[in-house]
Amino acid sequence: MIKAGQIDKGTALLIKGQPFIVVDREFVNPGKGSAFVRLKLKSPATGQTLSETMKTQDNVDDIMVTDRDCQYLYNDGEFFHLMLTDTFDQLEVPMANFPDYEFLMKDGETYRCTFWESQLLDIQIPPKVVFFVAEAEEAVKGDTVQGATKYVTTETGLKVRVPIFIKQGEKIRVNTETKEYLERVNN
Amino acid sequence: MKKAAQFRSELNRSIRTFFDEKGYLEVETPSLSPDLIPEPTIENFATRFDNEFVGSSDLYLIPSPEVYMKKLIAQGFGSIYQIGHCFRNSEQLGRHHNPEFSMLEYYSVDMDEQDSIALTEELFAYLDGPDHLRPPFDRLTVSEAMWQFAQVDLDKNQSQKALAQEARRLGLSVPDGPESWEDTFNRIFLTLVEPNLPQQRPLVLDRYPAQIDCLAKREGNYRRRWEMYAGGVEIANCYDEETDREKVSAYYRKQYAILIQQRSERGSVIPDADPDFADIFDNFPQCSGVALGLDRLQMLLMGESNIEGVILFPFSATISSRK
Repeated sequence: MIKAGQIDKGTALLIKGQPFIVVDREFVNPGKGSAFVRLKLKSPATGQTLSETMKTQDNVDDIMVTDRDCQYLYNDGEFFHLMLTDTFDQLEVPMANFPDYEFLMKDGETYRCTFWESQLLDIQIPPKVVFFVAEAEEAVKGDTVQGATKYVTTETGLKVRVPIFIKQGEKIRVNTETKEYLERVNN
Repeated sequence: MKKAAQFRSELNRSIRTFFDEKGYLEVETPSLSPDLIPEPTIENFATRFDNEFVGSSDLYLIPSPEVYMKKLIAQGFGSIYQIGHCFRNSEQLGRHHNPEFSMLEYYSVDMDEQDSIALTEELFAYLDGPDHLRPPFDRLTVSEAMWQFAQVDLDKNQSQKALAQEARRLGLSVPDGPESWEDTFNRIFLTLVEPNLPQQRPLVLDRYPAQIDCLAKREGNYRRRWEMYAGGVEIANCYDEETDREKVSAYYRKQYAILIQQRSERGSVIPDADPDFADIFDNFPQCSGVALGLDRLQMLLMGESNIEGVILFPFSATISSRK
């Protein structure tokens, strides 16, 4: 049991018997009242999201989670296939539960994963990742409203808006939360 | 940050011109006080006056200038305003909170809370911000908002038990243990109502439930109190100020008892209470007071999403540099 005020992003909670991961947390102090915390939660089992508001003094069931390394093997359009690097056990995770992750994870790369007992709750994508520019369209002249940008596609299939000087074959650093271009990476 | 400082300087100047032209007197009242008005949900900062010869005494940083300003009104100062710092301890840090913040507080004598809406609309017209910060303000009563966004009829749910049942019907968790009506109300309000309030224009949310105890006059199941939201952020609070000495006294005793009980459990600062507070109300005129968060207002006017973008030395940066 923890107090709701102690909850942070990434905390794993048991709500009505189901594990949830906190994806967003905001404190609110209504004009005259006690302090509350507004949570956005996600169920790793179903992908379902949930909004909850709790008093910071409310007791909540937290769950003990462990982090383990998993290597991302491939996806078959329906499941991600991962392998635990310590036991070589393979896992299938429904892709629908992690929207967009297919464009963020690289084949063969190892990711920290959050487990509750044997259930995978979360795949931790680093906040900034370097991608290889697999395809780059030609810059369109005259489009300076947005400060001269164009789209490129990374080796994972992620489409990113970048400055026009980025060329195919170069590397770029991307914010994986907003999927925005951060900088060019020199070899 | 220099841009934010220049913006604040101009904003303060505009506010002063606006109120000066209306004949309001600008006042400066103390930040250090030997006693505070009991507000159980607002934690306080305590400090100490020490003098080798005179002796020492406990002092508290004011969470709002309310008491001192009401003392001036009782002395016949007429309508007054103040731009000053307020201090709220263990205020959660983040987008919209800093433990030390700036408040614009204005009291209008011979006016009620509806007049204060008109005055605040004039102020916002004068500040000439973007469309979503301009009058006319949208208006909703709290019960209209609860009905519109949560389908909860407040008049039919005056007991905590009934309201908790409504909350559960809406899929919210309410603990089985005892809980105040206000806390249950806030579970519903903060989850289903506040995030969905219209944001195209400033919104006045009027007539707060009487169960939320405060020093605004009561009228049936409601109090003559409003809160203003702009861009989805709560930025002002207004009362038709209670003037009845007995009612103020009763409120004060009850809140102080709650404060002592809650803070003894938590071990947080228990400020002294002013034994003569009610005397202010022996001869207190009809008036309406508005407290407006100045940092939040500036944040919205500048299009910032975080209050720390307009505070020159945000508290979170100050404490993290000391860790």
